[in-house]
Amino acid sequence: MRPILLAVLGGGLLAQGIAAAEPEIQDGLIGDPDAGRAKAGQCRTCHGLDGFARIPIAPHIGGEPEGYLRGQLTAFRDGVRVHEMMSVVAKGLSDQDIADLGAWYGAHTATASLPAALDDDAAPAACAACHGADGLGLTGDAPNLAGETSMYIDTQLKAFRSGKREHEIMSSIAADLSNDEIRALAQWYADIELTIAPPGG
Amino acid sequence: MKQLLSTIAITALTAGAAHAQGADVPDNLEKLSNFQSTGVTEFTFIDQDDDYADQIRETLKRIEMPAGFKIELYALVPDARHMAVGPQGIVTFVGTRKDKVWAVTDRNKDRVADEVKDFAPSLTFAIPNGPCFSKDGFLYIAEQNRVLLFPAAEFFYESPDVAAFNLIAQGDLIPEEEESFNHSARVCKIGPDDKIYISLGQPFNVAPPEKLDLYNEVGIGGIIRLNRDGTDREVYTRGVRNSVGHDFHPVSGELWWTDNQVDGMGDDIPPGEINRQTAMGQNFGAPWYGGGSVRVSDFGYDEMEVPVEVVFPVSETVAHAADLGMMFYTGDMFPEEYKNAIFSAQHGSWNRTEPVGARVMVTFTGDGTLSDDDTVETIPFAEGWKDENGEYLGRPVDVAQLRDGSILVSDDLAGALYRISYEEPGAQ
Repeated sequence: MRPILLAVLGGGLLAQGIAAAEPEIQDGLIGDPDAGRAKAGQCRTCHGLDGFARIPIAPHIGGEPEGYLRGQLTAFRDGVRVHEMMSVVAKGLSDQDIADLGAWYGAHTATASLPAALDDDAAPAACAACHGADGLGLTGDAPNLAGETSMYIDTQLKAFRSGKREHEIMSSIAADLSNDEIRALAQWYADIELTIAPPGG
Repeated sequence: MKQLLSTIAITALTAGAAHAQGADVPDNLEKLSNFQSTGVTEFTFIDQDDDYADQIRETLKRIEMPAGFKIELYALVPDARHMAVGPQGIVTFVGTRKDKVWAVTDRNKDRVADEVKDFAPSLTFAIPNGPCFSKDGFLYIAEQNRVLLFPAAEFFYESPDVAAFNLIAQGDLIPEEEESFNHSARVCKIGPDDKIYISLGQPFNVAPPEKLDLYNEVGIGGIIRLNRDGTDREVYTRGVRNSVGHDFHPVSGELWWTDNQVDGMGDDIPPGEINRQTAMGQNFGAPWYGGGSVRVSDFGYDEMEVPVEVVFPVSETVAHAADLGMMFYTGDMFPEEYKNAIFSAQHGSWNRTEPVGARVMVTFTGDGTLSDDDTVETIPFAEGWKDENGEYLGRPVDVAQLRDGSILVSDDLAGALYRISYEEPGAQ
């Protein structure tokens, strides 16, 4: 729990905001990072044991807000979000499994550094308010985008635009974006270097 | 040489111009189609001599192969996927599932690459996974939803402004709303009929029934072919889940291809597949079959009468190993028994309890004369890219043949190309 709090407070968000953005955390289940590490065997080929993705189609998940991780795994399990691989693996997860996996990957710390050629001020404003100029999420519901492949971000934005993926904020932001705009936004975050440090590291 | 160049360029102009102009061109393609400079001059070069190269060489010591074969690091190539070796043997183009195509050059022919840099840096690529060459030196690159063509790429790639044309313009390969990131790693090859063959994976684990009509029409979940001027597109293969490797038998000319089968049915079913296609329009059973003769229960497919005549795989491979790139061996370096054999890459399973794959396989096919029911066996050729904990040290993607008869293997986890050569044991 602590890394999330730190990350969120560092982003300048009020504590009430966290609670509202992370309903899954309120269900009383406490995730065990060590148990999550053991269960991450089925995640690591694509996302890495430390949450640094090993294949381009998978996002980096180490150091994501725990609530976001829980929310997405639950959405895949329940069929609210659909992906041909994630829907298969999430199908068999219990609430406790999801809490544990969220605790393991959420306990990592993500840091991001902009390439020398990029300036914070040039960050896409529509994204940076929640995802940060450097691609580290500022709210518990906004995933890190730093270092994701451009095609991953491109794919997600198009999924929000078409309605394949839904989110109260993202759906409206993506609705009017052109393909070229989407690709340019994706490129901004793809060019940022992400590092992920293990828990307690 | 000069004459050849200009002939090729003119042919390309007339072939490509019609397609290049009408399309909605989002980047520099229009300029490149008119042989104009785009102003982009910077290549990204990949350092070939760092510590990481030494780490990979350590990994390669673990790789086991039949006696006489040797594997060495050929090049560091980030995210290396499918490969196309230039007809002149100077440069190998390597696709990725990201946004770059790499040009790998061995100028001094010491069988180790001297230089790796990005190809056509002024173009914005989207999953340019599948490069392929025609014999007369046209490079094609199959992307998620576009196919580009580069005349005489092997001569022009040293410039950032290489001439480029649409073979299939952005958005015309598949309907845009069918785009996905997964199962969008296209591969292409030029057939003995001089047409280009392009695989189109379908985006689902199991395609839902309401998509099948559209997919059949477009060739999603299939392999399409068309003339090299972009005309006469047709669906050559149907009933495919996600094929990421194909080649033509050197003797029979038949199209053989790998397929990745349904997930979520357990560790040991359904089998992976290598298929042999003897005629256009054949159906290979997806989504009614999940792989081999295993029926799929999603959407009740197992309770439906299969509405098509199904061709079953010529080789069933271990479940979930992810058979990807493949090629028929036609070189002289390897022992005689490897003539016309398939070398194929198993990328390795992603959620199997006990990981399987991450190796190069061989399938002996003889002269390719088989009856319809004949099958062949696919066996390990090079393996060892898994550590004691079952974690991958590398994940082979594709196999390509160099002009000396050695083969290259690409690896998108390590980000490398390996070269496998042969010397008769005791010959030294």
